[in-house]
Amino acid sequence: MAQHVPTANGTEMTGATSLVKSLEAAGVDVMFGLPGGAILPAYDPIYDSTIRHILVRHEQGAGHAATGYAQVTGRAGVCIATSGPGATNLVTPLMDAAMDSVPVVAITGQVPSAAIGTDAFQEADIRGITMPFTKHNYLVTDPAEIPGVIAEAFHIATTGRPGPVLVDVAKDALQKMTTFNWPTSIKLAGYNPKVRPDSQSISDAAALIAQSSKPVFYVGGGVIKANAHAELRQLVEILGAPVVTTLMARGAFPDSHPLHMGMPGMHGTVAAVTALQKADLLITLGARFDDRVTGKLSTFAVNAKVIHADIDPAEIGKNRHADVAVVGDVKETITALIPALKAALAKNQPDLSTWLRQMNSLKSTYPLGYDLPEDGSLSPQQVIERIGKISGSDTIFTAGVGQHQMWASQFISYEHPRTWLNSGGAGTMGYGVPAAMGAKVGAPNATVWAIDGDGCFQMTNQELVTCALNNIPIKVAIINNESLGMVRQWQTLFYDSRYSNTSLDSKRVPNFPMLAEAMGCVGLACDRPEDLDKTIEKAMSINDQPVVVDFRVHRDAMVWPMVAAGTSNDEIMIARATAPDWDSQEL
Amino acid sequence: MTTNRRQHTLEVLVENEPGVLARVAGLFSRRAFNIETLNVGPTEDSSISKMIIGVAVEGHSLEQVIAQLDKLVSVISIKDVTPKAQEVHDTQPDYQN
Ligand SMILES: Cc1ncc(C[n+]2csc(CCOP(=O)(O)OP(=O)(O)O)c2C)c(N)n1
Ligand SMILES: [Mg+2]
Repeated sequence: MAQHVPTANGTEMTGATSLVKSLEAAGVDVMFGLPGGAILPAYDPIYDSTIRHILVRHEQGAGHAATGYAQVTGRAGVCIATSGPGATNLVTPLMDAAMDSVPVVAITGQVPSAAIGTDAFQEADIRGITMPFTKHNYLVTDPAEIPGVIAEAFHIATTGRPGPVLVDVAKDALQKMTTFNWPTSIKLAGYNPKVRPDSQSISDAAALIAQSSKPVFYVGGGVIKANAHAELRQLVEILGAPVVTTLMARGAFPDSHPLHMGMPGMHGTVAAVTALQKADLLITLGARFDDRVTGKLSTFAVNAKVIHADIDPAEIGKNRHADVAVVGDVKETITALIPALKAALAKNQPDLSTWLRQMNSLKSTYPLGYDLPEDGSLSPQQVIERIGKISGSDTIFTAGVGQHQMWASQFISYEHPRTWLNSGGAGTMGYGVPAAMGAKVGAPNATVWAIDGDGCFQMTNQELVTCALNNIPIKVAIINNESLGMVRQWQTLFYDSRYSNTSLDSKRVPNFPMLAEAMGCVGLACDRPEDLDKTIEKAMSINDQPVVVDFRVHRDAMVWPMVAAGTSNDEIMIARATAPDWDSQEL
Repeated sequence: MTTNRRQHTLEVLVENEPGVLARVAGLFSRRAFNIETLNVGPTEDSSISKMIIGVAVEGHSLEQVIAQLDKLVSVISIKDVTPKAQEVHDTQPDYQN
C-alpha cells in the first residue's frame, strides 16, 4: 500500500472517483474488468485514471488474470465487475484464489442501497455468496467508507496468509458526493496475523531435526508466497536432507538440485512419495497436508513426527497432528531456523547417509518417463518437455487442469519461484489462458506459455481476443488429445474403459488454428514428431502477437505414477497394475 | 468419539456489523462443526456484539473450531468460558494474539 498521503485528500468528489483514487492510493497499476449498470459510475473516473484497465471478454477471465498477475508479481491482483451476473462470474476465480492463497481484490457494483433485498434487476447477494471463499468481504453503502474499506481490503488480501477480498459497492454510494480521506493507518481488532514465530517453537524444531535420521523437507506454496526460496535452499543445504515440492511449490527449490526428489502426491514421483511415507520427520514449510498429497490420511507417513510451519494457525493440526507447530511467516521461520539448526547440529550431527542413499536409489530407479506412441504419433509428454527445454527456465508457465497440467508439472524443469502457475486447490479448468494473460501483464518481458488442454481451452479461450487487442502476446500450447483426458484416464482405470461423455472430437471441431486466427492470434498446428521442435521455435519467434499451437497428440497417454484417490501412498503405481519393485529397495 | 464429547461454551466478541451472524453460522455449517446453542447480545461498546456459542467438541476438534473462528476478520476474540465442572483444559489458551 502506498505510504504517501494522496494529493486528493480532503477533496470533494463522487464515491466513484473516491473508489478510483483509493485504488490508485493502494498502488494498483492494472485491473481487469468489464462494466455494467451498477458499476458504471466507477467506469467514468476509470477513463481518466493512471490505472491501466484491461477490458476482458468474460469476468471469469478478469478473475483468473488478476490471480496470474498476483502470482508472478506477489502484489494483489485486481478485478472489477458489475452486479448480478457480472459478480457471479467472479465466483469461480475467487474460490480458486482462496484455495491457492492468492491475493486478489475484487470490486463489484451492487444495486442501489434502497433496492437491496427487493430482487432488483441484476441483484445478487455477492457478499453472501462469496463469504465461504473470501478472506473477508464488504458491502459498502456509504461513500465515506470507500477509502477505508479499500485500504483494508488490500491489507487483508496481501498480509498473513494471502487470499481474495471482495468489495461490493452500492451504485448510490458511487454516485453520491463525499470527501476523500485515505486512512493513515489500519486498525482491525479481529485481524492480527502472527508473522514472527515464537523462539521456543524454533528451538524445538531445531532439536527435533537434529534427532531425526530420516528427515524430509515437505515444501508447499507458502514458501513461494513468502519469497523464502533462497532461505529454503540455505536451510536444506545445512541439513542435507531430501526435499519434495508440492504442485503449488514447483520452483520453490530448483528441480536440478541433487537433493530434490520431485513432487509428492497423486501424480508424484516414487522418490518424493516414498520420502514422505518412510520419513521419521516431516519438516513442513508452508504446506497444508492436502488430500492430493497425503493420499489416505490414516496411512500417510505413519512413522513421521511433524514440524508444521505455517502462517495460518488453523492449518496446524487440521489434517495431521503437529509435534512442533511454528506459526509465522515462513521466511522469518526459516531465517530463524538456520542459526538454531546450525547450533543443534553442532551438538548432534545425525548421519543421513543411509537415508539419502535409499532416496537417491529410488530417484534413479524410478525417474519420470513415458513411452513414445507406437503408431508414430505425437506424444503429449514429449511436446511439453520440448517446450520446457526450448523456452528455457526463465519462462513462466501456466496450465489448465487435467493430464496436461500434471505433465507440465512433471516434465518441465522449474528452477525459479513464480514460474509455474496453476490451479492447485480448486482444479479450475479454464484457468490457463486468462492466468497467462495476467502473468504476461505482470511480467511483460518474460515469455509466458499456457500449457492448456483441448477441453480447458474451450472454457476461457475468449480472453485471447483481449490479449490480441491489448498487446499481451502470450503463447498457448493446446495439448489436443481430443478428450477430457484426465477424466478419460479414470474411466480407463476405474470404469472399465466406458468412455461416457469424455470424447471432445476436438481434432475435428473446432479448428483451433482458425479459431486462434479469428481472435487475432497466430494459429499453428503440429501432429508429427519431426515437426515438433521447429513448430515450437516458430512459436518462440513470434513476439508481437499471441500464438496458439494445436499439438495434436496421441489420445491414450496416461499420467504416471498414480496414487488412486482414497488409497494409500504405499499403493503408488508406476504404470497400470505395476507397483515399484519394493523388494529390491533397502527401505 | 461421541461418548465423552462435552459441551464447551465459547464467548466470542464480534464486530457489530451486518452479516456477522451469517459469517459465523456459515463457518460452522461449511466446516461441519455443530452448534448446540447460540446467543447473540450487545456489549457496553455498541460497535461490538457478544456471541455465546455452545459446541459439543473437544481436543483437536475444539482447537480447529476456535482457530477457524479466529480467522474471521469480524471475530475479535474467543474465550472458552466452559463452567469449571465441565472444563477439560487445565490451561486456557489465549486465542487473541
Ligand atoms: C470447471 C471444471 N469442470 C470439470 C472438471 C473436471 N475435470 C478435471 S480434468 C478434466 C479434463 C480436462 O480436459 P482437457 O482440458 O482436455 O485436459 P486433459 O486432461 O485432456 O489434458 C475435467 C473435465 C474440472 N476440473 N473443472
Ligand atoms: Mg484433452
